[in-house]
Amino acid sequence: MNSTFVLIVLLFLLVVLLGFVFWPGKGIVPRMLLARKEKSRAHLEDVLKHAYDCQYRSVACTVESIAGILQTSIGNASQLVTRLESMGLLERDGSALHLTSDGTSYALRIIRIHRLWERYLADETSVREADWHRYAERQEHLLSPADANALAARLSNPQVDPHGDPIPTATGEIPIVPGRLLTALEEGEFGRVVHIEDEPPEIYAQLVAEGLYPGLQLQMIQRRPDYVRFEAEGEEVLLATPLARQVSVTLIPEERRKRGPFATLTAVESGRAVVVTAISRACRGQQRRRIMDLGIVPGTRVTPELDSLTGNPRAYLVRGTLVALRKEQTDQIFVEPDAGVA
Amino acid sequence: MSTTDLKNPSSSPTASLLTEANALRWEMGEEYHDSLMEGIYEDAARIADRSVTRSGERRRFNLDRAIDHLVTSKWTGFPFMFLVLAVVFWLTVVGANVPSGLLADLLLDTVHPMLKGAMQSVGSPWWLTGVLIDGAYLAGAWVVSVMLPPMAIFFPMVTLLEDFGYLPRVAFNLDALYRRAGAHGRQALTMTMGFGCNAAGVVATRIIDSPRERLIAIITNNFSLCNGRWPTQILIASIFVGAMVPAHFAGLVAAGGVVVIAVLGVALSLVVSWSLSRSVLRGEASAFSLELPPYRPPRILQTLYTSLIDRTIIVLWRAVVFAVPAGIVIWLVGNVTIDGVTVAEHFVNWSNPFGLLIGLNGVILLAYIIAIPANEIVIPTVLMLTVLTSAINGVGAGAGVMFEADSTVATAEILRGGGWTALTGICLMLFSLLHNPCSTTIFTIYKETGSVKWTALATLLPLGMGFVVCFLVAQGWRLIAGG
Repeated sequence: MNSTFVLIVLLFLLVVLLGFVFWPGKGIVPRMLLARKEKSRAHLEDVLKHAYDCQYRSVACTVESIAGILQTSIGNASQLVTRLESMGLLERDGSALHLTSDGTSYALRIIRIHRLWERYLADETSVREADWHRYAERQEHLLSPADANALAARLSNPQVDPHGDPIPTATGEIPIVPGRLLTALEEGEFGRVVHIEDEPPEIYAQLVAEGLYPGLQLQMIQRRPDYVRFEAEGEEVLLATPLARQVSVTLIPEERRKRGPFATLTAVESGRAVVVTAISRACRGQQRRRIMDLGIVPGTRVTPELDSLTGNPRAYLVRGTLVALRKEQTDQIFVEPDAGVA
Repeated sequence: MSTTDLKNPSSSPTASLLTEANALRWEMGEEYHDSLMEGIYEDAARIADRSVTRSGERRRFNLDRAIDHLVTSKWTGFPFMFLVLAVVFWLTVVGANVPSGLLADLLLDTVHPMLKGAMQSVGSPWWLTGVLIDGAYLAGAWVVSVMLPPMAIFFPMVTLLEDFGYLPRVAFNLDALYRRAGAHGRQALTMTMGFGCNAAGVVATRIIDSPRERLIAIITNNFSLCNGRWPTQILIASIFVGAMVPAHFAGLVAAGGVVVIAVLGVALSLVVSWSLSRSVLRGEASAFSLELPPYRPPRILQTLYTSLIDRTIIVLWRAVVFAVPAGIVIWLVGNVTIDGVTVAEHFVNWSNPFGLLIGLNGVILLAYIIAIPANEIVIPTVLMLTVLTSAINGVGAGAGVMFEADSTVATAEILRGGGWTALTGICLMLFSLLHNPCSTTIFTIYKETGSVKWTALATLLPLGMGFVVCFLVAQGWRLIAGG
């Protein structure tokens, strides 16, 4: 009697345990299988992305370069290539690999999600710039095309990611970004930064630290074989040629040039009225919207009124309202003296 | 669109129009959003200039600026802020005594015996009377009588200050501190609200629109010493801290002790904000913009109405809902016996060594567990448990029935009888500041964040800090005093 009871309990526990391990969708084994499948899909997608990138930069895509990018063995990489070939996404041409048209549109879909996600992180969240790329690398394999379209709609269909790379449209179109390398800008010419290469991350971080961002207006002062010197937002920047090669610019026609001098709102002394000339493009998304919602747009008269204990934040009189702003924001607002008062 | 268009979109005029529009979009660039906004403002400003006349604006303006210079300047800003907050707290603590006493007379001393008598007269068994009247009713009534008056005074006053335009200036003054901690300047406001009630403070974080900074404000709100904890601090400080110095300094030193605890809470909220914004909640500070509205006479009636409805009643209702089951538990642990010993004594004896290790005792630990609905009923529970477990005769209202002693001296006698020392008092003051939020606040945090993870962090982080701080203080004290 007693041993039967124990047996029943043991059998019941066994059934529960088996359910825990094998339950479809929720059990440990199905989850592990799913995770493995997703990981291998992520690898395949990374290969397609790399192949597209090679095509874009007109360099050869090989099994070796794939192994390098994925940090895996040559054998593994060639296995992945064989699978992609059998799926009709990749073609072999000698040692070089090419995307088929199906492969290209698949790759563009992944790139679209990646860049949209970076845009989302930059505009809508407070995730640090250094983490954008890493988070997007993970997210690009998880979002469905429908989710991506919904996200794009929410962000009001942005055209470029925060590094200036164009975001492919839902139909897989991607424009050729106009522009040339910063090192090709002639002395005295005005250019606007359209793209900053985000890989390798260390170099990208250096460029960001120098204050470069897509949309920045600059004027070339001096161009030498080993460095370039240019003026941006009232400051002179010196960049070694390898770094400058990571930056693309377009020429700015005379009439669209922003007027200098570039004094920031932070530097204005208390009680002195100034007029906003521009808001830096480095101020993006929500932050930019909030500043503009307060009525701070080019042409607005602003007067610093009140200093706090440390001088940060300061309160400014904008359109009859007193608004407190931190230095981090006023550093991004460019002004000129108010002609009507001075 | 006709069916042929749908079948062959590339040749339809609509599709070619869309393609062209798409191409133009690329050409236009990203700045057209900005240009649109500029245009709207330009038009609006032109229309306003044409049709709005401004007269006499200059004078009113200057008065505003004069007040601003007084309340935000280097020399007068901070003293003024402390003065205003001190007056608000003083009015709350002192002003709440009278209505609290009246409510206690009514609900605890009159209605409670009446209900008990009525239950007995209809022949209800003693345990049913105990659970319903001494447990559920007493806890609910106690929470109402001690929470309602201070909240009904504190919240309208804070709302009046907000309405007048002063609170945004406080945020302006304090923003530099919060900026360095990686938090939002408006956290100063939610912290102030937390001094009244942490649950209301957590709700108030809705004014912070960045999710990251809002979470920081929610998690650190518990470090504001709430209304329910001020009386505990004052009572314990006057019994144990005041007693350490000669009698004529006692009052001053006791008050100083309470202020030190409150300031420590503010400092810890900044430190915790700083470490959160560099670990689990790291990220860039969002744009901080704070409107400093012109000063205007507060709308008193409207303010009273909204602050009573929005804050006081909602918070009180939640507290009562949690207090009723807790009252039942409190009564049960004092009355259910295993092997002839109550559950409370079992737990107290078992947890006492750990309690002593961190400068407290088993009674305090049990009180903080079962009095989780409201910090206000911690001291009555402590007294009940102390009498129950240390066999003091002649005081109290029976096993499992919370009570308050008639005077501070009587309370001191009971606590000393329970083996309390100055170290116990100081550690209780620290633990009262650093422990899990009350169940009302925990529930509110869950409602506001919608996440079990953040709720757990907000609950366990201060508790863990409390254990560590009390342990260090107790060990340090014993090392120096050799106790």
